Amino acid sequence: MRKVSPTAGGARPAEAPVRRPGGRARGAGGVVSAGTCPTGSRQQEVAATGVQSACARRQMWSALDKMPAPATTYERIVYRNPSEHHYMKVCLEFEDHGVGLNVAQFKQLLISALKDLFGEVAAALPLDVLTYEEKTLSAILRICSSGLVKLWSSLTLLGSYKGKKCAFRVIQVSPFLLALSGNSRELVLD
Amino acid sequence: MAVFADLDLRAGSDLKALRGLVENAAHLGYSVVAINHVVEFKEKKQEIEKPVAVSELFTTLPMVQGKSRPIKVLTRLTIIVSDPSHCNVLVACTHLDVDLVCITVTEKLPFYFKRPPINVAVDRGVCFELVYSPAIKDSTMRRYTISNALNLMQVCKGKNVIISSAAERPLEIRGPYDVANLGLLFGLSESDAKAAVSTNCRAALLHGETRKTAFGIISTVKKPRPSEADEDSLPACKKAKCEG
Repeated sequence: MRKVSPTAGGARPAEAPVRRPGGRARGAGGVVSAGTCPTGSRQQEVAATGVQSACARRQMWSALDKMPAPATTYERIVYRNPSEHHYMKVCLEFEDHGVGLNVAQFKQLLISALKDLFGEVAAALPLDVLTYEEKTLSAILRICSSGLVKLWSSLTLLGSYKGKKCAFRVIQVSPFLLALSGNSRELVLD
Repeated sequence: MAVFADLDLRAGSDLKALRGLVENAAHLGYSVVAINHVVEFKEKKQEIEKPVAVSELFTTLPMVQGKSRPIKVLTRLTIIVSDPSHCNVLVACTHLDVDLVCITVTEKLPFYFKRPPINVAVDRGVCFELVYSPAIKDSTMRRYTISNALNLMQVCKGKNVIISSAAERPLEIRGPYDVANLGLLFGLSESDAKAAVSTNCRAALLHGETRKTAFGIISTVKKPRPSEADEDSLPACKKAKCEG
């Protein structure tokens, strides 16, 4: 399976600076050391630039030469098609507390909401309930991207379940499941 | 970007329910709400009930979720000018000094909107309002809401449209992004739908404020009268005028 980068044109994985083995790093003064002590005139130039002495630089360069070059290389793959699925984090709120639904009833509620507003065709959209918490009545749903507007608006216009008034609160919507793991609205200012 | 606003919260007789409603709106992310008082227009002069004073409703206004400022609560008056017939809408668009024209959703409108008066209204800065809470309660209302909305969109092309809830209970109000998604259902484009909850609401509020001013530039503010002891502190120029 090909490795896919999160967003087309988004953050690039950090590339380690690739060091070409065998090359000599250029010093601040732009003087390339040949490994031997430079001639007298050059030494004077180096002293004139005011950087560390040529011998110290040579020592540094030889130490760097001994370090192994980083072995990993990065390959960037950009996937330009839009995401296939959209993920929604929703919470069902009832007027009177103490109403419980299990997963099957929850999914039945979603399908009937879609059917009421958009009909049989929308009710047949591939909708999945990825997680469901019965205590808080919150769930993570997955829908194909073409059906997002239909599902979202049918959740918005849902008014009651079995005669009891309820409301769907959509907490997060994202084309990436990872984005639903953090919610900046839940952060509390100290 | 302008903050989210819900310009139609129906004021019932119950203050506690209204308080719960405003708190819920603040929790959902609305920065500005307007409490709506609906009055039926009768020929004889009638008493309009006193609007609810915001200070008696809340001692401290609830904070808007995601922002550090408290919610801003305004009041609003709606006048029903008899049955929704053709000429009234025309008059309201062109002549009456109003900020918003509400499109009724309780029945199928018996007339089609005509383009010229709608264009005049858009130029004047009058916004058209659609409410969505009847669509939550009843399925026939849903059909009427959507069909009236689509009718309006065909003529006004999505300009100057506001979507608001006519919510009486906390469960009837929906979050701002949900309402923007409903705008897509009503035939608005994505940017127009978001503007219907934010930018156009702000435009309508400013339109209401400018009605008190001269062409929206100059406004008069009542200055508190200085007491006798402050006579000496009158600006020098004024003093000179008095003497001269």
